[in-house]
Amino acid sequence: MIVLEGVEKIYPGSTQPAVSQLDLTIPQGEIVMLIGPSGCGKTTTLKMINRLIEPTSGRILLDGRDVTHVNGDTLRREIGYVIQQGGLFPHFTIADNIGVVPKMLGWDKQRIRERADELLHLVGLEPSTFRDRYPRQLSGGQQQRIGVARALAADPPVMLMDEPFGAIDPITRDRLQDEFLEIQRTVGKTIAFVTHDLQEAVKLGDKIAVFATGRLEQYAAPDTVLTQPANDFVSDFVGGGAAVRRLSLLDLSRLELHPIETDEKAAGSRNGTPVVEVDGAGKPVSWRHLPGGDAAGTAMVTVPISGTVYDAVDVMLDGCASLVAVVDEEGRAQGVLHWNDLVGGLRTRERGA
Amino acid sequence: MNFLDYLVSNSQQIFFLTQAHFLVVLIAVGIGSAISVVLGLAVSTGEPDPRRFSLDWFATGIREGGLVFTAALLTVPSLALFALFLPLTGLGVTTAIIVLTVYTLYTVLRNTVAGLTTVDRAILESARGLGYSRLRRLLTIQLPLAWPVILNGIRVTTLISISIAVVGAVVQGPGLGVLLLNGISRIGAANSFYQVFAGTLLCLVVAAVFEIFFAIVQRLTIPRGIRV
Repeated sequence: MIVLEGVEKIYPGSTQPAVSQLDLTIPQGEIVMLIGPSGCGKTTTLKMINRLIEPTSGRILLDGRDVTHVNGDTLRREIGYVIQQGGLFPHFTIADNIGVVPKMLGWDKQRIRERADELLHLVGLEPSTFRDRYPRQLSGGQQQRIGVARALAADPPVMLMDEPFGAIDPITRDRLQDEFLEIQRTVGKTIAFVTHDLQEAVKLGDKIAVFATGRLEQYAAPDTVLTQPANDFVSDFVGGGAAVRRLSLLDLSRLELHPIETDEKAAGSRNGTPVVEVDGAGKPVSWRHLPGGDAAGTAMVTVPISGTVYDAVDVMLDGCASLVAVVDEEGRAQGVLHWNDLVGGLRTRERGA
Repeated sequence: MNFLDYLVSNSQQIFFLTQAHFLVVLIAVGIGSAISVVLGLAVSTGEPDPRRFSLDWFATGIREGGLVFTAALLTVPSLALFALFLPLTGLGVTTAIIVLTVYTLYTVLRNTVAGLTTVDRAILESARGLGYSRLRRLLTIQLPLAWPVILNGIRVTTLISISIAVVGAVVQGPGLGVLLLNGISRIGAANSFYQVFAGTLLCLVVAAVFEIFFAIVQRLTIPRGIRV
């Protein structure tokens, strides 16, 4: 858990504080996204947590311990730190890069070696292939993965990430974000993550902290920031399209979908339930019957139940279909979502979700 | 006699002088590099904050002043510098080594400073963020990354020293300069041209040996990750 109490940073010679009177608590095991326009103080705030920048006043507490005045170098060995360009040491092998902090903490060689292999597995890189390579032999995405592995090496309770995926191409970035969420599910670190990308903040964050010129404007769950911005600044920052983006927060698994029938049960097919024709594996192939619609002329589009309403909309637009069949892991139909549901109100299985 | 006969009949002397030349350059470059690298390490702290006074300002002063001073020394013709040291250290090996060492200082210091200050800031920041102390950063990150540039400086300075060492013969310094000086002062006499030619040729041989030596050192001390 990270607690910032009355933390302030004023650079000598400036009248305006870079960060003013900040009170922020990042709960254990959660990812908090620090977001805001350039110069808003989000990176300064991040760097004050590990004292790369010394606060002018205020206290920083990590898991209840006041670390405002302890030795900076020793403190930083207990905090994972990932930066945008990776910052891997080009003259160290990948294994040596990962083992940098454990080595400083005095772990023995065998333990460091094992830990490096374990982390390479965790970030999806085959140890025997990668451990003896050098950073310049890796792609940008791979380097960033090593950056994350290195930050996790000494198993710190807290991780600080400064736009780690900012310099990566969008396709790889998407993949890295998914993998990052997977890793977090396993390791459950307390993470402060700086980004300027609202999409990323909504996707990754358990909470979002919106900054403007050194002040915290709103600190809430992504859903709340999108639908109930605290003030004009936040609402302008979030911008238009919040309603659409909110769709990506709605998991299909939480919705009450319309029933669907496969053609094996064609007996009751004329009662207003869509019927699909399935193949040998039970996967929907085409529409057999659509109540009030043209079954033959409607494209069959499917979306996995593990996705969100956003994915369903994307698929429907792509196939020019006004409904989509929601399928499970094996591809078997679980239910149907209509385009009209989007404005007619989606029903969720849980109350008040 | 022809050149080959000359070489054979004077082989012992020629071999001895070549060895001496090689050694005097090795010693001077060794001492000069050690001084310059250590000095460079001590004063390469990067740009100090212009608004605050700190010890970094002393470092900057020593660094820039040192570079200007050693550069100025380099402009003094070697013949003159050898002569200037005569009243201080007399004739012979000592003077030769001292003067040669002086000439190695600038290039190595310049390269050390350049190498250390142009290490990628992102790498240094991430090292600091991981918990590296300043000293550890300097020795395990900055120095190894600057090493290819420093080594190159030492290599260049060695080649220059091979030429300057020849001039050392005027103050009875060791090496192939003896052969060359002898040949030049006796122009027209028997074998004088052969002496000059042999002296020059063997300087090239010494240079070649050093080049091979540096190529090996480069291979052994620069990790694959930063090899050009």
